[in-house]
Amino acid sequence: MSRGELRKLDTRIKTIKKATLELKQLSGGIQAIDRNAERILASVKMLEINISDVKDLV
Amino acid sequence: MKTSLRASDVYWNPIIETLPVEKMRELQLKKFKRILEWAYERSKFHRKLYQEAGLEPGDIKSYEDVARVPKVEKSMMRDIQRKDPFPYGDALCVPLEEVTEFRQTSGTTGTPVYQPDTWQDWEWWAEAWAYLLYAQGYRKSDRVFLPFGYNIFVAFWAGHYAAEKIGCEVIPGGVLDTEARILKIQELKANAMMATPTYVLGMADTAKKKLGIDPARDLTIRKITCAGEPGASIPSTKQRMEEIWGAKVYDHVGATEIGAWGFECTAQPGGLHINEALFLTQLEDIETGEIIEEPGRKGKIVITALDRIAQPCIRFDSKDVAEWSKEPCPCGRTFRIIQGGVVGRADDITKIKGVLIAPSAIEEVVHSIKGLSNEFEVIVTKKGDLDNITLKIEILPEDEKNQEVVLTQLKDQLRLKTNLGYNIEVHPFNSLPRYEVKAKRFKDLRKHG
Repeated sequence: MSRGELRKLDTRIKTIKKATLELKQLSGGIQAIDRNAERILASVKMLEINISDVKDLV
Repeated sequence: MKTSLRASDVYWNPIIETLPVEKMRELQLKKFKRILEWAYERSKFHRKLYQEAGLEPGDIKSYEDVARVPKVEKSMMRDIQRKDPFPYGDALCVPLEEVTEFRQTSGTTGTPVYQPDTWQDWEWWAEAWAYLLYAQGYRKSDRVFLPFGYNIFVAFWAGHYAAEKIGCEVIPGGVLDTEARILKIQELKANAMMATPTYVLGMADTAKKKLGIDPARDLTIRKITCAGEPGASIPSTKQRMEEIWGAKVYDHVGATEIGAWGFECTAQPGGLHINEALFLTQLEDIETGEIIEEPGRKGKIVITALDRIAQPCIRFDSKDVAEWSKEPCPCGRTFRIIQGGVVGRADDITKIKGVLIAPSAIEEVVHSIKGLSNEFEVIVTKKGDLDNITLKIEILPEDEKNQEVVLTQLKDQLRLKTNLGYNIEVHPFNSLPRYEVKAKRFKDLRKHG
């Protein structure tokens, strides 16, 4: 996979992260939103480890 | 996308698993600096440790600089947990309310160490296991049986979550007894399993003797992932397991305080890959502390979990002894290999009659002799100035008539492979202790007078 393709993936990962953080901001403290958003963020971190961290090394 | 389907058929993450070595070191250095800074800013324990060494995170500029960072030993972790916040102490890097997982070490080497993890850490545990299970051929179509007690020890918990992550169907064999587990494997036609080598062999014994089931013929398990003991990297023990189950047996190595850091792949290269995507591993000379880069020289493993955040594991002195392999793996991964897996522990490798020996060397011999049961016990004592080794073994009932031949083979092989003489005691079949999890077969009574 090329660096360009990895950067595209990284952009999408950032979009998911931003949207998830926004969900938390808009949740009004509803735990059904906050806690599920936390789980999404944990999965986003795994995407960062697998893609974002390495995108400039390929 | 240029990454072919074939690459993603073989690797969980083909980008990282085939990264050239120099790029891998670059990635590891970047991540090492990140976790070091994280711990320095949030953990009183780490900050004090580094300040006392006159070191700040910004001082680490090259891969070689990593060795300047002070090591952490298990005994330090035990001291930490006597401090606040309860029950983990001041190496905790997140607010207590962000901890979602508690596990503890088995206590084999002393007071158990408590290990906190956030949900992100738990995802990371499963990610590490996903790398290893995928490398061992686990796929969505697999039905995986986990015959372990789901409790406070991390054991195969993350294997369960990783198998789910891969998309396997997971059967938790939790509180079932051994016979019920075997029958459930048979009923559901499970094709993969995770257990300690001791339990893999013990299950097969129970299947044959109590249920009249031949695991290779009557069950459908075709791959087994082992952990907790070195058995799956000991050729004769691996062979016993593979023959009796008719399955491929793969090793994996990890620890509660570290994570799942090493694994065997389907190429079975005679060693374990380090998961260098998630861990930075260095081999240190046991006596001088010099970093070992060349193959063929044993050292102890000092390891950093590069992405674990609740209680970081930075330059942890694992006491595990290994050596780098000479050969790259035919699987194509650039992750380095430790030859023969973990060959012992720095505090287990002991000098007997002037000869350095690891307990795994004795296991390799005992399990290579046909006619001996899977169980044995080694007891080292001192009489005056002389070391004495007693090896307790059992002869299989069907081989009792060949006892003399079996014992001669055993003595010859022990002398050849370990350069030591033993007092061999033959015990009745089924009389030596049986273990379900980690076996304790090596007892050095010299240390206790």
